[in-house]
Amino acid sequence: MALPIQRCWFRLRALTLPVPAAGYHAKALKMNMTGVYIPDPQDPKTKDWQKGPAYEAKLYGKYGSLSRVNPAQLWPSPEKLQEIEAEEKEWYPSLREMLDKLEAQEKELLQQKLERERVIAANMAKMPKMIADWRRDKKEAKIKEREEKAKKQRLLTLAREKFGVNVDPRSPKFQEMVKEMEKEERRKLKAVKKMQREEERAAIAAALNAAAAARSPTTPDSSSTPE
Amino acid sequence: MAASGSTGKNAGELLKTLPRVSLANLRPNPGSRQRERKRGRGAHGGNKSGRGHKGQTQRGNKPRLGFEGGQTPFYLAIPKYGFNEGHSNRRQYQPLSLKKLQYLIDLGRVDPSQPIDLTQLVNARGVTIQPLKRDYGVQLVEEGADLFCAKVNIEVQWASELVVAAIEKNGGVITTGFYDPRSLEVLCKPVPFFMLGKPIPKRMLPPEDLVKHYTSAENRGYLADPLKVAEARKLLAQKYGYFLPDITKDELYEMLCQRKDPRQIFFGLSPGWVVNMAEKKILKPTDERLLAYYSS
Repeated sequence: MALPIQRCWFRLRALTLPVPAAGYHAKALKMNMTGVYIPDPQDPKTKDWQKGPAYEAKLYGKYGSLSRVNPAQLWPSPEKLQEIEAEEKEWYPSLREMLDKLEAQEKELLQQKLERERVIAANMAKMPKMIADWRRDKKEAKIKEREEKAKKQRLLTLAREKFGVNVDPRSPKFQEMVKEMEKEERRKLKAVKKMQREEERAAIAAALNAAAAARSPTTPDSSSTPE
Repeated sequence: MAASGSTGKNAGELLKTLPRVSLANLRPNPGSRQRERKRGRGAHGGNKSGRGHKGQTQRGNKPRLGFEGGQTPFYLAIPKYGFNEGHSNRRQYQPLSLKKLQYLIDLGRVDPSQPIDLTQLVNARGVTIQPLKRDYGVQLVEEGADLFCAKVNIEVQWASELVVAAIEKNGGVITTGFYDPRSLEVLCKPVPFFMLGKPIPKRMLPPEDLVKHYTSAENRGYLADPLKVAEARKLLAQKYGYFLPDITKDELYEMLCQRKDPRQIFFGLSPGWVVNMAEKKILKPTDERLLAYYSS
């Protein structure tokens, strides 16, 4: 924008004042502000950044066709284009691919959630039975504990009756007494069992006898009836 | 390297005549060594060599930053939690309130008779976008939603439901679109880009975590199905209880219908075109491979 205006001013000044009005004029700027500066790539003094296609494209962008740059080189060359396309293929998935992936992820999450809910429901169904079991176990344990306590108390009272003084339950005297009592109890139990068994045997024998007795009178009867 | 085939022989012969490489004839590469700077010489010879007066500063034995002389320093004493984790990688959307937008329109800084996109907003100095600072565009915020009264066709990167409702209530159209950082740079500063003489790049698709946002009609995403968007407009009007103006009978219908292609950065300019500002010219590629690449 500024360039053509400046050029205009320059020409106008040249028209109106052929001879400089002032005796002294400042030295012309070293910068080339009027024309198009295109650095010569062959010149060794030219900086590296002023060579190459990127800078040429920049020149074209700045000056247009005045820069004498072939506009065809502004686009990537076939090889470069191939490279770009390969990179895009590798790193940039298409919209469809991304949507498919998202859908699969969502499905997976839903599946996990459903599975978890199923497990929770199954466990919750087991819950009432587990609670009942736990209550029963607790009750049983309590009863057992109470019985043990009562037994211990009974033993202690027995020991006091036997020895006349309070006895430490850990003492060997007490332990011996308990052992003896247990032995006694076992013996009693054995005797009871034996008696029971004998009674049973007697009962069986009686039953057999009764059956035999019932059979022996009937057999001659049955044989004699046809006579 | 193609030329080395011919010079290799000469170089080999030359090497045979030269003395063996030894420590005596080796020297550092030119430019690899720099002469050490001598301090305390010249005009300020007797002075402090620019290090100030006495102490740790002059002697250079200052303890590291945050060191508190051995006691557990503050930065270790305070527990940390991941609230700010990844803050330097998060996408930022510069806020623009509806109030400010209304202000810009009222002052004539933004022309509502044309589609408004980020270029218009940046040119109106409504927002400053710095793509290099992880700005991904502009978000419309709700402040001034009740006083907003302009009919616009606006494209932003993020907008809340209320903002969408406020714009559609006035007969406007809103689209949320994603721009990758390179396209965003081009969109915010078109002229410096055109001065580079490069073809307009292709707008990339949103990253995977944003695909859902930009394909949903509720967010008025630019990848959403237009039919679903029309449906969502009606639903939103019902939800907020306003009468949705029929834009098909609007005199600005043409303008309100303008949408960019998902691959397009500027209205009216396709990817792959070169815009020359000096000659006011547009150059379009004709090569089929180029066309195929830029249109995909």
